[in-house]
Amino acid sequence: MELGREVLDQQVIDARGVPMGKVDGVILELRPGEPARVAGLIMGGTTLLWRIHAGLARWVERRLGGEGHVTRIPWHRVLKIGVDVKVDVEAQASPASHWERWVRDRIIGRIPGA
Amino acid sequence: MSKLLEIALGLVTGIGGFLEAGSLATSAQAGAEFGYQLIWAIALGAICIAFLVEMGGRLAAVSHHPLPDAMRERFGIRFFLVPLVAVALVSFLVLASEIGGVCLALQFTTGVAFRWWALPVSAALWLFLWKGTFGLVEQGASLLGLVTLSFVVGALKLHPALHQVGAALLPSLPTHDPAKYWFMAVSILGASVSPYLFYFYSAGAVEDDWDEGYLGINRVVAGLGMTFGGAVAVAVLVCAALVLHPRGIQVDRYEQVPFLLTEPLGRWGFRLFAASLAVACFGAALEIALLLAYLVAQGFGWRWGENLRPRHAARFALVYTAALLLAGLVIVTGLDPLKLTIFSMALTALSLPVTVMPLLVLMNDPDYLGDRTNGWLSNAAVLCVSVVAAVVALVTIPLQIFGS
Repeated sequence: MELGREVLDQQVIDARGVPMGKVDGVILELRPGEPARVAGLIMGGTTLLWRIHAGLARWVERRLGGEGHVTRIPWHRVLKIGVDVKVDVEAQASPASHWERWVRDRIIGRIPGA
Repeated sequence: MSKLLEIALGLVTGIGGFLEAGSLATSAQAGAEFGYQLIWAIALGAICIAFLVEMGGRLAAVSHHPLPDAMRERFGIRFFLVPLVAVALVSFLVLASEIGGVCLALQFTTGVAFRWWALPVSAALWLFLWKGTFGLVEQGASLLGLVTLSFVVGALKLHPALHQVGAALLPSLPTHDPAKYWFMAVSILGASVSPYLFYFYSAGAVEDDWDEGYLGINRVVAGLGMTFGGAVAVAVLVCAALVLHPRGIQVDRYEQVPFLLTEPLGRWGFRLFAASLAVACFGAALEIALLLAYLVAQGFGWRWGENLRPRHAARFALVYTAALLLAGLVIVTGLDPLKLTIFSMALTALSLPVTVMPLLVLMNDPDYLGDRTNGWLSNAAVLCVSVVAAVVALVTIPLQIFGS
């Protein structure tokens, strides 16, 4: 399987069928004397920024004092890779939905009729 | 729903959705300045957008991927940022133009200056999206858009010489002011081949859960819908060519436009013009604001959908809310909506290779389309039109800015 083509930047769908973001990065486990192994998927926070511009990502991480709201999904939680990547995680309970919740609670949810 | 009804609805969407601030302004300007001569540009634009709309629908029906989602996945984030920024920027300017168009229609009917209408119009648009469903936006707006058929009635009542109209379907060289002629030609192409049209259509196909059974309908709707839509734009040009051109009136100030229909349709002409302008621009503004939300949400994998309540797709709702507010503020500044529209259309033409090329690559990728990939004709047609339009835009935009 080509990781770059079939996993990276794919839509991630949670256990309930809710979109929870894109595969922003792949975690590789380096093992001495053995080939590297895919340990999981990573999304959110500054992950994407590292792929766009490393200098910018470094600067943002220094300002934030960390990598932000990052979600790591271990490979054994990845259920299916097809049109989307289905994972056995609940978006509601994961950091992946931090900004969605923030926008809902602070802005959109306060407007009548939301 | 029966297939016939779907096709009818699609045609209504094509007719009611084709005409908006951009095609109205560029067609009126072209007719006033060059008579029938630029009809070929509308025809060429309609052919090109028909191909693109068909592709957007086919991609959604076969791969089940919305266009921005597929683009990010296929090209990776770094390359995806280029069309993302280009489409977002151009669409935002066009959104402001459409809001300006609705405001002008209100100025023509009430006498209150257009800038005062900008925020109320933005708020009305926002309320539609906040409360409405996808079906309401798509079908409601295009059904009302049928009022733009008054241009066809107007054009027919002016008894145009049909053989001359037909002859203008073939491109010809300008008799005067070649810089303006080619600038007008690319503005018309930019107005017809608006990326928002096929991005929105593709998003709609995913919202409506299309599958391969829709491919036939998709082809008919794209082909006929854009042909009829283009015919309405031609009617605007014909009206301008017969009403404004003989009097030497050039459409360089928006106050000159509303009299387009008063000669063929009398007192009702003015009202129908204002109604057409308001409805066409309102409908287009709804689609563009939604498109911006789809673009960002699908590109970053957020929850999206116009049929969801805003709180269930909060960031999606935030994007269209912010876009409408900011675009309204552009009009509040009092920037001339006509100039903004023409400028946005030329910029759209300039950005065509960037906005169209990723779609073409996807449409030729069997990973997404299986055995439904593009044929050579659609590839060649779209590639030629977008590259030529961009090159001509690159040459004529500076001439137009520094020449005047």
